[in-house]
This record gives sequence, structure tokens and C-alpha cells, in this order.
Amino acid sequence: MKTFCHFIFLLLPLVLVSCDDLFQFNPNQIILEDDERDLNNKNVKLIQALPVTDTVKFILLGDTQRGYDETEEFVKSANNQSDISFVLHAGDISDFGLTQEFKWVNEIMSKLKYPYLTVIGNHDIVANGPLTYARMYGALDYSFEFGNNKFIFINTNSREYNFNGNVPDLVWLKSQLSNNPGNKNAIVVAHVPPFDADFDPELEKQYAKILADDPNVKFTLYGHQHTFRDGEFYEDGVHYYVTTNIVARGYLIVTTWKGGYKVDRIEF
Amino acid sequence: MKKYLLPIFLLLSIMARAQEDYSERSRKWYLPDHLKLQFAGNIGFMSGGPGYISRNKTLETDLLFGFLPQKFGGDALVTLTAKTTYSPWRIHLKNNYYVAPFSLGAYLSYTFGPQFDSKWPSYYPVGYYWWATSFRPGVYFGGKAGRNVIVNKRKRGLELYYELGTYDLILISYVQNSKFLNPGKIANLAFGVKFGF
Repeated sequence: MKTFCHFIFLLLPLVLVSCDDLFQFNPNQIILEDDERDLNNKNVKLIQALPVTDTVKFILLGDTQRGYDETEEFVKSANNQSDISFVLHAGDISDFGLTQEFKWVNEIMSKLKYPYLTVIGNHDIVANGPLTYARMYGALDYSFEFGNNKFIFINTNSREYNFNGNVPDLVWLKSQLSNNPGNKNAIVVAHVPPFDADFDPELEKQYAKILADDPNVKFTLYGHQHTFRDGEFYEDGVHYYVTTNIVARGYLIVTTWKGGYKVDRIEF
Repeated sequence: MKKYLLPIFLLLSIMARAQEDYSERSRKWYLPDHLKLQFAGNIGFMSGGPGYISRNKTLETDLLFGFLPQKFGGDALVTLTAKTTYSPWRIHLKNNYYVAPFSLGAYLSYTFGPQFDSKWPSYYPVGYYWWATSFRPGVYFGGKAGRNVIVNKRKRGLELYYELGTYDLILISYVQNSKFLNPGKIANLAFGVKFGF
């Protein structure tokens, strides 16, 4: 009997640790629940089901990497904003490219009152990160239309691919911009801005020119630099906005309508 | 990889020498003292391999080969792990049963795969990413219970153990996010069995 009691004592931790991932097999495992799969597609559907209005207001945050406490505070702050349709995450969801990190960020972001979409960041490409991103969020380059806007998300993390000339995929970007018969506002969202050292220097000028040559592109959105920045960096009529990282407790609110837009910096 | 294997084997052989028991042994010193088979613990779905125990039975060092099938892990991953467990107290019970209520240990795992780096490629500036993705150090505590039996005039043992552990990257995350993360969120559980011979 005494032995039996000791074995029961050994089983105690089972009861104590009632956490979500009790058994883990490798830090690089990719074990997802059904509600953790294909999130960008699912959330695009939710966004497109919203009533269409002339003015669309959305939030851009970036670089939640290893900032869970601050991301929770971001969610509180975002939920207190009015008339927000959706939230865009500019990448670096994770810090180490671990599925566990993606899951934690999604757990927190799920408490938003709005659907959220992501674009992949360089830290999300580490280790098994790209596999996790693809299964959890979907394609690395994708687009969707809402109201009078066309949102284009593109992987600009060139350094992760040893600047091989294929990232960002400029052919895809051109085709997305040219396939816009309604001349909707084209809003390109990516992680690394073209003027950053992690963007392929061979593609920088071409990329900026593609945006500048399209009259539907008035502004474009980025993260990665962990500071607020904005400006017409190429003096070509396209205004670049960079949001800060979440540990710096800031994000952008973007308001866009036919023929105009407004970007506000928010600190929380 | 080779340059890391040598120190591991050296360590293992030193451990083995330290525990040599002249009164009982006819076996060669380098033969392992036990085999372990483990479930979970971030070193494979199942992992197993030989190990050595110190003469006073408090310190075990194991080399475990782990495998995670794609079916269970979303990716097929092979892992090699060196781990050391210290179990300072042993309570002897009736019928050769015993309990070691507390163990403390650490491991270093290596996961194979082209997507994992030990040294980052030269197209990254120095220190761009500061951690290796192939090597993963971790720590754990746990406990075990077992029974010694005499089979063919030789002492054999069977032991069950559990370990609650975490690893470096998650520990760092926890330190910086004490509100969202808690011990339950960062810990994972492993079970194992040890066959002593």
C-alpha cells in the first residue's frame, strides 16, 4: 500500500500541470489545433463579410516577437479604439520561429474584437518557422479586396534567402497591382521596408518604382525597424510608413477612403 | 557534429570509470549501466539509449536517440541528446522498492535538418540571430521510483521516472513575460522507463 501511495505521489505533477501543451516532442514540432490553421483565409472571409463603408479604419502593429505581456496590452488598447474593421500584423510574430510562439501570439490576438491578418517577418522564417507560418496563416504572398481597397501582402525578407533575387517576388507584385480594374486603393503591406539593409539591394529600386508607377498606390506599410518612421523615401509620391515593435508600445491606425488616407501613431 | 561527439563520449567514459564496481563487475568498464526509453520531453516522441550511473547511484548520464514521426509532430525530426540527472535522495521501501522523490537535470539536444543551424551562414551580420537552432539546452526536475531484482545472481533494476522541463528560449520568454506566461505554460512533461543491468 505504501508503495502504491508513492506512485500516486509521482503522478501528482500530471494534475498540477494542466497546461495546453503538456507533452512536447521537439521545440520545432508543428502541432496545431483546427482553429490554429489557415487563419489568414478564415479572417479575410470574416473581413469581407463586414458591411462595406466609404471609409475603412484598421490597425497596423508589428514585431510582437517575445513581447507577450505587451501584446496583451496592445489588444486591450486596440479593443478600446472605435470603428476599427480589422488588424494587420506586419510580421515577426515569433522571435525564434517556434510554433509555440506563434500559438501564444494567436491566443492573445484572438482576444481582439476584430479579425487580424499577418505578413511573414524574418524571425518567422527561422528554423521550422516558414512551415508553421504556411500552415497556420497561409501563403507568404497574398492579397484581398475590401470595399474600395486592395491589400497586398508580400514577403520582403530577402536576407533569409541569401538575397537570391526572388524575394520579394516582383513579378507577383506587378501582377497584383495590374490586376486592379476598379482602380481601388492599392495598399502594399510587408515586414522589411525596401530602404532596410535586410531588403535585397538589387531589388530595392525596382520595387520602389513598381509602387511609384501605379497611381493607385499612395502609401505602403512596414514593420521590422522597431521604431516609428514615415516619409517619401524615394521622392516619388509614395509615402512609406513603418510601425514600431510592440515592446515599444506603439501601433498605427490607418484610415483610408476614396482619394485620401490618414495615419495616426498610437502609444499605449 | 563530430567535434561535439568526442567530448560527449569522453564525458561518458569518465562517468563510467567513476562508477566502476570491482566487487560485482566482470563486465567491461565501457559497457553501459542501463538503457532508458523516454516519451516526450522535447527530445523526440520516443527516445532511447544507453547511460551510466555513478557509484553512489545519484548521478546518471544518458545518450538518447529520439525520433518524432511526422504524424505526431507535423514534421519528422531526429534528435540526439546528452542528459545528466542528479537524484540526491533515495528512500528504500519494502521488497526492494525505492523512491527517489527529487531529481534535477539538464540536457543538450541536437536536432538534425537543413533548416537548423549550429553556425549561422555568412550572409547574416555577426550576432544577427544570437541562438543556434539545432542545439537546444534544457533543464528539468522530476522524480522516480523503481525496484531492484536479482536475476541470474545479477542485480537488475526497473525504474519509472517523470520529468517536468523547459528549455532556454522559452525560459527567456518567461522571464520577460511574467504576466502572460506562467510555469504551467512553459513546462512540459516527460515519462520514461529505465532498465538497469
